[in-house]
Amino acid sequence: MKKNSLLLFLLLTLPVYTLLNAQPPVPDQTWKLDQSSLTYHMSHPMHEVDGTSHAALGKGVCHAGQCDFLVAVAVKTFDSGDSNRDLHMIQTTRGAQFPIVQVRFRLAQAGLNSPTLDCDLEVQFAGNTAHYTHVIFQQTINGAAHHITGVVPATVSDFKIDPPTFLTIPIKNAIPVRVDMVWHAM
Amino acid sequence: MEISGSANMGWARVLIGGMCLVVLCGAPGRVAAQTTGQQATTQLDPAQQGIEVAAAKPDALALPDAPLPSLEGGAPLSASSSLQTYAQNQPPSTGPSLGDLGLTPADTEGSAARQALMDRRTHMLKIHQRLGLITVIPVAAACISSVGAPPEKGNYSDTTSRDIHIALGATAVAMYAATASYAIRAPRVSHEPARGGVKWHKYLIYIHAPGMVLTPILGAMAYNQISSGQKVHGIASAHSGVAVATAASYGAAIIAVSWPIHLKF
Repeated sequence: MKKNSLLLFLLLTLPVYTLLNAQPPVPDQTWKLDQSSLTYHMSHPMHEVDGTSHAALGKGVCHAGQCDFLVAVAVKTFDSGDSNRDLHMIQTTRGAQFPIVQVRFRLAQAGLNSPTLDCDLEVQFAGNTAHYTHVIFQQTINGAAHHITGVVPATVSDFKIDPPTFLTIPIKNAIPVRVDMVWHAM
Repeated sequence: MEISGSANMGWARVLIGGMCLVVLCGAPGRVAAQTTGQQATTQLDPAQQGIEVAAAKPDALALPDAPLPSLEGGAPLSASSSLQTYAQNQPPSTGPSLGDLGLTPADTEGSAARQALMDRRTHMLKIHQRLGLITVIPVAAACISSVGAPPEKGNYSDTTSRDIHIALGATAVAMYAATASYAIRAPRVSHEPARGGVKWHKYLIYIHAPGMVLTPILGAMAYNQISSGQKVHGIASAHSGVAVATAASYGAAIIAVSWPIHLKF
């Protein structure tokens, strides 16, 4: 009798245990870049220049707990406030031949709400690809909007770009890119 | 002993049966949690998620080593914050495509011909810039030598200073023409209106270009008047004024494309 009651107890409680122990399936998710501001900074002994683009496009696709993101921006959309300089920038970065800058990265879906995002970036630019590991972005979540900020530590030499010169003095190698984006889950 | 032994056997069967049920019912959840890695943290708050993510990373180390961050060419990246990488954070080889972003092949495909055109434009504008800076020398020299160009106290026979001024002025005009020709012949790659300093650089052309034509004409007229023993008069007397305006606007045009200057060494 005791055996039967114990067996019955186990049979009744095990499904409950199973339900509690089971992991909820993580749904596939799509992310869209709503607003963006990408700003490169160029330094020269005589000039400090910032060029900004608000025309980046981005999408993220989450599947099986992993999210693959792509951000793309046309080189010609960067505006430094001087059309001649912008054209020269496009020429120097081979922007007519390689018009799109592509940034790819992967994040665990579970970490998407984290206040900091540690990203390994694959950047295609000027016909070359560079990888930046552990680039930290700050995230603030306001409702459905995920506001991401950070700096990509890009350099001219990463993409085998001949540094432009002014009065025979080349620009500095570092061209950090400030990132300010707002993403939404669709 | 016989009875207690059979009772123990019975309990053992119940326990084994129960454990089997536990395994059968509970295992899929655990297996799912292991295979999906960090999915287990979705119900936690962000701070806990961070801990869970960090805790989950050592599991990923069992995977094959991710390639070290480097350029495709093989040169190491100094900008990389760490050489330690995790397979789960590696940039994906698949994922959204440019087409998914709404970009058409026309947007994404580059043009080698257009790049060549831009290279040619930049090359010609670099020469324009270099020649323009060199031209400052004869322009400045012509302005300085103009001090000795007018006849002193009615001495119209001494022409040395005047000749030097004419030579320097002619050199300045010739070099200016060469400088301008590179800017004029540089291929036009954009039809958008100019923005920034180059806009003023272009506006100033309307002053120094006519000035560079007028100045030598007025100078020749003044020279002829002086050579014939006359005092400079009429429109020729505007030679110096036009020359100064031309030189000033030329200098301003150079500054316009160099401004703002922030000296920082």
